[in-house]
Amino acid sequence: MFFNSIAFAIFLPIVFFLYWFVFNKNKSTQNALLIVASYYFYSCWDWRFLFLLVFSTFLDYYTGIQIEKGKSARSRKFWFWLSIIVNLGFLGIFKYYNFFASSFSDLLNSAGIKASPILLNVILPVGISFYTFHGLSYVIDIYYKRIKAEYNFIDYSLFVSYFPLLVAGPIERATHLLPQVKVKREFDFEKAKEGICQIIWGLVKKVVIADTCATYANAIFDNYTAMNSFSLILGAIYFAFQIYGDFSGYSDIALGVSKLFGLDLLRNFNYPYFSRDIAEFWRRWHISLSSWFRDYLYIPLGGSKGGIWMKIRNTFIIFVVSGFWHGANWTYIAWGFINALYFLPLLLSNSNRNNIDEIHLKVNFDSVKVIISIFSTFLITCVAWVFFRAKTISDAILYLKRIVTDRNFGFQYLENERYNYELLLMIGVFVLVEWNNRTKVEPLSGKRNLLKIALAILAIIAFGTFSDYKEFIYFQF
Amino acid sequence: MKHFLIYTVKIIVVALLIAVALDGLYTVIFMQSENRGKVETVFNSKAQKYDVVILGSSRANNHFVSQMFEDKGLKTFNYGISGGHLFEASLVLKLMIERKYEIKNVILEADLNLSNDQESDGVSAKFLPYIHNSEIIKEHFSNQKNFNELYYIPFYRYIKYDSKIGFREVVKIESKEKTNALDNLGFYPLEKHKNGNMKNNIVNLKPLKHNKYYEEIKNICKANKINFIPVMTPMCENVVGMNYFDKVKKQYPEIYNYENVVIENKYFSSCGHMTNEGARIFTARIIKDFFDK
Repeated sequence: MFFNSIAFAIFLPIVFFLYWFVFNKNKSTQNALLIVASYYFYSCWDWRFLFLLVFSTFLDYYTGIQIEKGKSARSRKFWFWLSIIVNLGFLGIFKYYNFFASSFSDLLNSAGIKASPILLNVILPVGISFYTFHGLSYVIDIYYKRIKAEYNFIDYSLFVSYFPLLVAGPIERATHLLPQVKVKREFDFEKAKEGICQIIWGLVKKVVIADTCATYANAIFDNYTAMNSFSLILGAIYFAFQIYGDFSGYSDIALGVSKLFGLDLLRNFNYPYFSRDIAEFWRRWHISLSSWFRDYLYIPLGGSKGGIWMKIRNTFIIFVVSGFWHGANWTYIAWGFINALYFLPLLLSNSNRNNIDEIHLKVNFDSVKVIISIFSTFLITCVAWVFFRAKTISDAILYLKRIVTDRNFGFQYLENERYNYELLLMIGVFVLVEWNNRTKVEPLSGKRNLLKIALAILAIIAFGTFSDYKEFIYFQF
Repeated sequence: MKHFLIYTVKIIVVALLIAVALDGLYTVIFMQSENRGKVETVFNSKAQKYDVVILGSSRANNHFVSQMFEDKGLKTFNYGISGGHLFEASLVLKLMIERKYEIKNVILEADLNLSNDQESDGVSAKFLPYIHNSEIIKEHFSNQKNFNELYYIPFYRYIKYDSKIGFREVVKIESKEKTNALDNLGFYPLEKHKNGNMKNNIVNLKPLKHNKYYEEIKNICKANKINFIPVMTPMCENVVGMNYFDKVKKQYPEIYNYENVVIENKYFSSCGHMTNEGARIFTARIIKDFFDK
């Protein structure tokens, strides 16, 4: 059941009605309803994976309590590592086993030792990377005594399985979401209104921007050997907007839906393509994952403390691991590595926190510099996205090489029976709208709200891509 | 909560009004479409006279060279539609009759398409802009599973088939951008492709015992005194399961089997589609057998 499906359009009002009119006695009934709704929502993909979700929930719930109750350091450590190993074990088996097995086999074959890998015929359970990280952060926080263990299983289950964030985040923290589910939610009109605006804007990003860009980006990436330089540049730009519209659109819908139930989720995107350097980009892109890796990997590894080599090592580790989190493919690792390379000069010159203020443009030279820095950051981001999108690293390198060597900048007619420039106007309007509203969560709320909503709905139904239906990209992670 | 419900109702009303307005606007624009495709052209046309009308799928569209009929003095148009099934061929013929076309002969490509009586999504979508303006189209779609959504929900059909009848098509109609669908009197010649798929497996294909739309076309021709010429058209020599054509012949003895008229791979662009050269050999044979009297 996708957020942009008819099924969800029926599911959501039913749950909303039951939540506020039938199960609104206290927080327990509210939470129980949301759990049932969440499990139903998840089982719509594949009910068999529900057992995995429930097991994972129970494991972290139980080990969390045991860690807190543990009298000796040894006992605490035992339960802590049990949770970590089992959680990462599931992730390893479902997501990474085949990758490691075939990579190892390739390595042996290249060394002249004949080997054929034993591969598992398993489907990746949807959302496993997200709910595993929910559980991990919870257990780690208890182990380091940052939070208390949750003894109410329903409340804890809701933290892990809450349907708006279950399959593609944002990756919540127990410190943020659990306190909210511990109290009865009262209906707040303004919050619900904000939620509606965010849902509609998320749909604009998904069906108007992401899915339309996907049609063009696929036509270019899938036939890149026949494309000229101009098409290849456009292909990279289209993919950049596809993945942004897709993932941030999903996050907007998730946050908006959650607001309808009176629960605030962590903000996941903050107009990342208006970043002035790559460090700022990573403070604005998939914020819940970046901050997760910062808090649970980078800082425990020593963070920015220690010598220069330590800083470099830690930076490469978090970027490469972050890339690998996205999928079991060398292209994602390369994408993470390239971002680490981009980040390195900022780190070494201690300028990675230079651009933390709001962007204000005036008619002066500084503003020109800001615009140039935004464009150059977007440009290098697009180069990295080529690795993210390409099937193999060789494809990505050949794609980029062809941009430089082909040198033909004419318009091409694509296999999807469209010209490769047709989308640029739509992207231009989208960027302008986002730019003018960059201080807000979404552009629809505020003055003339109904008119802006009407225009957004017009865009969705008139310009959206529906027939060439596409899943949310991050569901596969 | 009351405020929120009012707010939500307002948004739903706004969405509905936009959908109704867009539906009206798109439909008006499609009613003016004349040079984009065969369906629109037939719908927006007036009475025509034809000696030969060709119907069917791409295997009609790419195989019958209309100009060769014209050279014989036969006014001809190839209304074969790539990707189309008999569902759409039947509807095109119904629209022609409604517009009082005078047709002497209908050549129907009836072979692989006899194996199903479903609509072809991509092609049937082309009729949908007119569903509220034509009882024939409405009636033809009335047994389809999603008829109610398509007919009653404003703008739903334009959303569902946005790649065929959506915004881009509307812009192209308005800017009078021409397609090549009507060139060469509807015949679309193919070239030899170096990487053309020259293998085909039709073992699992079975002709339906009574294809509803084939029967419909046959009956329309009979009722309107049109000479009905159903033919099976050639396949390349590598096809696995060629006894399909024998099965067709057994179930529909009136269909003329021309599957063997052209077989050499050099005459095929892909296994089920002949090149221009192959199409000319095939058309010459059809003219000789049916019109050289």
